[in-house]
Amino acid sequence: MIALRAVCARAGTFELRDVTADIPRGAWGIILGPAGSGKTTLLETIAGVRKASGGTVALRGVDVTTLPPERRGVGIVYQHGYLFPHMSVEENIAYGTTNVQAALDTAARFGVDQFAARSVSSLSGGERQLVSLARALAPCPDILLLDEPFAALDPRRRARLRVDLRRLLRERGTTVLHVTHDFTEAGTLGDIAMVLEGGRVSQVGAPETLFRQPASAAVADFLGAENVLSGTISLCESGGDGAPGTLQFTGDGVTLIGMGDRAAGTGHAVIRGEDIVLAREWPVSSSARNVLRGTIVEVARDGVLSRVTVAMGAGTIVAVVTHASAMELGLAPGEAIVASIKATAVHVC
Amino acid sequence: MMSRSSHRIATAGVVGGAMVLFALLAIPVVALLVRAGVEGLRQLGADDELRRALVLTATTATGATAVTMILGTPLAYLLARERLPGGAVIAALVELPLLIPHPVAGIALLLAFGRASAIGSVLARAGLGIVGSPLGIALAMLFVAAPLYVSAARESIARVDRRYEDVARTLGDSPWRAVRRVTLPLAGRGLLAAAVVMWARGVSEFGAIVILTYHPKVASVLSYDRFTAFGLDAALPVAAVLVVLALVPLLILRSLRTGTGPSERPS
Repeated sequence: MIALRAVCARAGTFELRDVTADIPRGAWGIILGPAGSGKTTLLETIAGVRKASGGTVALRGVDVTTLPPERRGVGIVYQHGYLFPHMSVEENIAYGTTNVQAALDTAARFGVDQFAARSVSSLSGGERQLVSLARALAPCPDILLLDEPFAALDPRRRARLRVDLRRLLRERGTTVLHVTHDFTEAGTLGDIAMVLEGGRVSQVGAPETLFRQPASAAVADFLGAENVLSGTISLCESGGDGAPGTLQFTGDGVTLIGMGDRAAGTGHAVIRGEDIVLAREWPVSSSARNVLRGTIVEVARDGVLSRVTVAMGAGTIVAVVTHASAMELGLAPGEAIVASIKATAVHVC
Repeated sequence: MMSRSSHRIATAGVVGGAMVLFALLAIPVVALLVRAGVEGLRQLGADDELRRALVLTATTATGATAVTMILGTPLAYLLARERLPGGAVIAALVELPLLIPHPVAGIALLLAFGRASAIGSVLARAGLGIVGSPLGIALAMLFVAAPLYVSAARESIARVDRRYEDVARTLGDSPWRAVRRVTLPLAGRGLLAAAVVMWARGVSEFGAIVILTYHPKVASVLSYDRFTAFGLDAALPVAAVLVVLALVPLLILRSLRTGTGPSERPS
């Protein structure tokens, strides 16, 4: 549906380079990446408001690289909304359609009818984003590009909107490409995700794969993996048929058994904090292939979770447990602790 | 850290300097109005030549401004959106007339469009001679004042974020339709202010006009003519009327700048 082949584009001194990705029809694609990595530039290149300096953009199987935006049938919602300030909310929503009533009915599904008669200048940031979304949905585009469209909404409204929007777009069969910094959003909405870094695609895959098996230490770090260790890798068992093999990682004074599809050499082990199980005693019956002793350095509260930093070997690892578990285990700095990590939770890259 | 007394001296210096400048600007105008304001307004009712000159001045300035708005707004748009190859050079060339002494501008216009020139001879054959005609007056006004319009219009359009147009395009608008429905309304107040500045500049022009068209007389030429032919006292009422009439564009500009218009920034 959206097929990008070696797409290049320029925005000032910034350059988007060789972006290749496919978003199937009706799928919800997610773009993740640090600020300035080219996420908005990519959306604008697909929408046609920015010219591609190389490569091809194909939509619905048709090469649209040289087509103007009005002939691409793509809706776009910017983070700042860009509502037309000289028009009312209703005029904004009706801007791109002749079927005004249908557009207003769709807008009502997101609660926009409550402020349809108001002037644009009187709207809050969240309300502007909702109107901007309603305006983009009004012409019923079959491809929708979203650039952090929920960023200004409060968490409750945002969660509700995610559900409502996903339902509507599933009904319509709309293909979505959605820029977000919110990993929860990426996980709950995304069918496919890509990470952009410095104008290049670092990884494309299912969101779960990106989080569990990041292609590089940089991707792992960006996606919030608590533990990205550097060291040397040796092969234990080949996976065969391209499946991940079992690898031994040694670095920072610890040796871990993990999974990955790379050759021996220097590399990284990535472990998400929630995959580390903490216990006060050496586990009697654990299937985990990595059981390590350490000493708690810090227990930091993070909402309902606790982030426990454990000194281990020459470095530290961070485990994430619920605050209730931390209380139950009586975790405190200076205490000895045993950490169990399954080999499948140690991603070697 | 500045002591309290030196702070006071600095404040007094700034205020004093501002007052001196204000006095330099205000005293001649006030003196003119005090001396001849009433007489000028009285003469406005009785002096046919003055009335004809004012009507001629206003119509030629309006014509020059209208033509510049039609031709200059697209140019200002292209310059603002940096869509012209060599845009910086074109922008500099467009602003060049602002730096030319106005009699020199008149001479240049005479050279380019006078009867002796190729273009001028064609125009003259079509009954559109620029020497001694309202057309010449409007051309002189356009030459000296259009750069002000294009420059201010360009800034006004540049302040409208390009993404408004982009959004309109994704909603189905052609480039022209997006500009008409979104950019021009958002830049409208600025474009109008630019037009008023140009009009006011055209009305006050003398040097370029006097080279091309002494007759029929525009108001500035008439005040000069009265001064050289009859002396200061005869020129004063005409001059005072021009000052009073200058308040009209000034007040329009003030209202345009202080009025609340739609924001051109992301909403």
